[in-house]
Amino acid sequence: MSGAKNRMRNKKMRDQPGNVTYSSPGWRNGGETSAGRAGEAQHVKGHCLPHQGGGWVRGHQSGGSVYPQELPKYITSSYFARARAAEVKAMLKAVNKRTGSCHTFGALPKHMRRRAMSHDTKRLPTRLREGAQRMLEKSLLTGKKKEESKAKSRKARRRHGNLLLEFNRRQRKNMWLETHIWHAKRFHMLKKWGYCLGDRPTFKCYRACYRAMSSHCLLQDLSYYCCVELQGPEEELLSALSRLTSKDAGPTFAAVQCLSGRRQGSVVLYGSDQYPAQPLGPVLFLWRPRSESSTDRQLWIWGHPTLKQDLLSELRAVCQCSEAVVPVPVTVPVPEPTPAGAAEAAAMPPKGPAHKQASSRKRKRAEQDSDAQPAKKIFGDGTRSPTCPVTWKSALTGIVINDLTMEIVRYRLIGPLSHSVLTEALCPATDCDVEAKKRQSCFWWPEHSKQEQNMALHREQTDVFQLLKGVYSSTEIPGGSVLGLTVDDPRLTLPRMRCKAEPDLQQAIGVDEEKRRALTLQGVPERCCQSALWDRNVRDNATDNKITEKELNRMRSELLVPGSCLKPTPPQGRVPVLLVHQPGKQLGQEMPSWGAGWDLLLPKGWGMPFWVPLVYRGVRVAGLQMSVKHSQHKGAPHFPHDFPDCTAGARFQDEQQAELMNKFTRRPPGKRTNYIKHGCLAPFRCPWQQLVEEWAEIVKETGEGSDTQTGVETDSVPPRRFSVLRSRKVMRQLSVWCKPSSSKGQRLQRTTQRAPQPISLCPATAVSLWASHGHSLVWARFSLLAKGRPELHAMVCVPTDEDLRLLSREPRCMGPQEPLHVDHFRKRVKIARKAKKKKGGKAKEASVEQVVGSDGVAEKQDSTSDPSQRPTEQPSSVPALTQTQEVVSTPSRTSDGDTDATPAVPKASVAPSDQDPSASAPGPATEERLVLGLWPEPLPSVTSHCSRVTLGWVTQGDFSLAAGCGEALGLVSLTGLLHALLRQPPEQRGLLLLRNPSSLQYRFAKVTIEA
Amino acid sequence: MAEPRSPAPVPQTPVGIPSEGSMAVEMDPVEYTLRKRLPRKLPKRRNDVYVNMKTDFKAQLARCQKLLDGGGTGGHREICIHGLGLAINRAINIALQLQASSQWTLQIAANTSTVELVDDLEPEDPDEAGEPLTRTRNNSAIHIKVFYPDPQG
Repeated sequence: MSGAKNRMRNKKMRDQPGNVTYSSPGWRNGGETSAGRAGEAQHVKGHCLPHQGGGWVRGHQSGGSVYPQELPKYITSSYFARARAAEVKAMLKAVNKRTGSCHTFGALPKHMRRRAMSHDTKRLPTRLREGAQRMLEKSLLTGKKKEESKAKSRKARRRHGNLLLEFNRRQRKNMWLETHIWHAKRFHMLKKWGYCLGDRPTFKCYRACYRAMSSHCLLQDLSYYCCVELQGPEEELLSALSRLTSKDAGPTFAAVQCLSGRRQGSVVLYGSDQYPAQPLGPVLFLWRPRSESSTDRQLWIWGHPTLKQDLLSELRAVCQCSEAVVPVPVTVPVPEPTPAGAAEAAAMPPKGPAHKQASSRKRKRAEQDSDAQPAKKIFGDGTRSPTCPVTWKSALTGIVINDLTMEIVRYRLIGPLSHSVLTEALCPATDCDVEAKKRQSCFWWPEHSKQEQNMALHREQTDVFQLLKGVYSSTEIPGGSVLGLTVDDPRLTLPRMRCKAEPDLQQAIGVDEEKRRALTLQGVPERCCQSALWDRNVRDNATDNKITEKELNRMRSELLVPGSCLKPTPPQGRVPVLLVHQPGKQLGQEMPSWGAGWDLLLPKGWGMPFWVPLVYRGVRVAGLQMSVKHSQHKGAPHFPHDFPDCTAGARFQDEQQAELMNKFTRRPPGKRTNYIKHGCLAPFRCPWQQLVEEWAEIVKETGEGSDTQTGVETDSVPPRRFSVLRSRKVMRQLSVWCKPSSSKGQRLQRTTQRAPQPISLCPATAVSLWASHGHSLVWARFSLLAKGRPELHAMVCVPTDEDLRLLSREPRCMGPQEPLHVDHFRKRVKIARKAKKKKGGKAKEASVEQVVGSDGVAEKQDSTSDPSQRPTEQPSSVPALTQTQEVVSTPSRTSDGDTDATPAVPKASVAPSDQDPSASAPGPATEERLVLGLWPEPLPSVTSHCSRVTLGWVTQGDFSLAAGCGEALGLVSLTGLLHALLRQPPEQRGLLLLRNPSSLQYRFAKVTIEA
Repeated sequence: MAEPRSPAPVPQTPVGIPSEGSMAVEMDPVEYTLRKRLPRKLPKRRNDVYVNMKTDFKAQLARCQKLLDGGGTGGHREICIHGLGLAINRAINIALQLQASSQWTLQIAANTSTVELVDDLEPEDPDEAGEPLTRTRNNSAIHIKVFYPDPQG
């Protein structure tokens, strides 16, 4: 007997009663019963059977049929039972005991098992519960981490202090504007540029917002715009800043009316001395009016948050402000009384940062040991670390740069009645009573009003502000005017119901007509542009001493007549503000000054106290979506969407591409647009650089780049980066050229007939423009002639002669159609997918290559050609191929192959792109990234991919509610545009074609360049 | 929209390519860009119609007709048609057409007036020393009252 068998036997015998034996050598016949009986018999009889082992016998024995002869004649029941008692006991014990722990549920028959039993032990039969419970606990302990501690109750969470703590925690990563809570309740919020911003309201209001913009007032919170403050001697500032701008692109920082502080200016900044390359982006700027006491000037530059870092580093470079003022942490912030006249404070000592630091320090502490101190609401930048420098100064030039991000609240009111909203919501500050004046006060206004000259200024400003009531539309004020003002806390005059601010005829009658006329003609006088908001001490004082909502309500409740106005105004309830007029649409002839309005600048902390009163005056509130639409209706490029040459714009393009790609791949493959079939190379991202380079090639090829010497020059120069044309002279010239000669513009030209004829569009001028601005893109507006709604990244194409003839035959025609392209990648995508499924590995790759090779005949022809080299290919080999392909693929396309509208070279470059591009696709690396319906990365020629030559792409397009037709804004290649214009008959000049990425229909559009 | 400040010594806006001919021309030291502001807006009643040259004539006529007829809500007894400058002609035309189509039951009373318009002149000089100018000019306007005469009168 082997050891294993022994062990097994031992195990079996463990629970057996002692009298049961197991005879080792002999396997006897007879079942258990017979053996037992035999044993019993032995026991009873007391003698041993000779031939029978008297043991446990089991199994079927060969000679089993023979039973022993000596069966007992009788059985004594008591003996019998006693002998088996132990055995039965052992058996019961074995039955009751469960062997393995995991078999708790196994103990139940299948039909009684339920899924939820593992969670809820009460579903088990009682006898199994205990074990199951044990198991459950064990698995909870070992398998997972401890169950999280129970969240606080809602009531506890909503308690003020806890809520503030929670809010402060949540705005550590993304800054919140002061109106965040208000917006978050009503808007779809986006986390963008380090802020939480409202995108669009949750309710439907697209049209309502448009109506508000064009006939009443639309409100936006623009506090996320970053303000950078420069202080220093005027000449130093101007000389430093002039390196960032160019007069070629319009007025700069030095423009007279801006420099005096009467107007806000806007300018596009470039890298220092880099114009026209390396643009940074557009900024708004505002000079503080000169003051008698100080020679230093103060300048605010407002820019988009994506622009801020570039702007700051560039400014530091040109101002030579390398010395960062490390903020000194001040432990006890003292809201010192500020004996501040606005004039004195112009030369503000750089103790500002320390003061500011104090407040931010306070915030920090409030966050950290909130148990000891009540949490403080964050005003200003909550994400910045307290030791991060915000001030830089230069010993050499004396310029101080301050980062005022989130220090000033900026609200934008758009619409012709925005001044009415302002005049109703704001109330010029009332004078303090006499005895209050005599006392020393820690609030800024009583101190400020002690000086007579300040009060005189305040009265003047109040007069100008009252004049606004007599104005019917915000457009009557000269664009960019600035008005400084001190106003009462607008919460005190909050109406009980929301109402709609309208210009009041009765009030208008009271206004002096002469003064109103002066205001509309000359704008706000220079003195009145001064404001205490420029002064940091005043700002901080106003912020620190704001009456809390609670306090205000308590004061209201103590009024004798409930609901009456709180009088006199508490001394801390005065706020310095700046009103800055925003000119509307200034360029172009349609809808002049559409979208004009006012910007309201406030010290930080006063955001909500002004927001609600404005909303109560019937304005509509909009978010980011509407600011895009606003600039679209104005025809202005919107930052960063329409600045692909800026770094911020390039970054935005990357993000947009990723987002669109993500959206595309979320659709099931069968429902995706096949952009290859639609002949759209870049539905998600516009390859501007490639476009510009290709057009340069085309012009060179046709010999229209003319002189050999310029050709040589461009050859030697490495490929320049594209830039957007912002030179006003060239823009103006282009805008004239884009107009058809026989339109209303003619009348205007006739009046200036005596002038020497402006340079007309001819090849010579075009060539010189190509030489100087060859790598430029031009911002243009396209309005569709008939129906159609242009979309993002729609292609702008040149119509052929045939198309133009068609249009003149029937002016309401739809436009030509693009023939359907063939998707040569389809097969490869499929194969790649199959290969992936099978995980075949190398064998599959080889087969893919094979298929590519056998895919078509054409692709073999220039398998070595690189897309960038394509347009330079020999045209001679190509036309035949083009023709055949056209005939095969598009029988409908009749004549454009041999029209002379597109010159020889575009045709030549049409050809290679029509071929199978898969030949140019390199190895298996790109194989992985193949997506059905999208061109893989090395794009073929973008200009000549379709039957019409591409000029550019649309960056904003929609049905324009203002114009009543589809309108688009986009960038086109300057070279291409001139090339196209030169070939168009003068009466049809400026007609182009637009085609959406997911459509084959071209639509006629008129191009306008507004300058 | 570049237009010289004064008609006589017209400064020419130089164009991207400086050619010799243009440089030789005697130039005004400071050039200006003309920017016309919108005419002053007055509060508008429902029965005021401002006529312009951009909208289709038929559409404007139909709009006036609709105001008089009243689409279900009862039309106005009188409407005012305002035209400024070039649109005077069209305003008169609309008024007469309305009268004709009503079989001369409508009456017309015309008033003329002068409207002051504001032009902004923005300096285009390279030194940026020029002050922006504003000038006013006058233009004629017409206000035509088109009305049904009182039944008893």
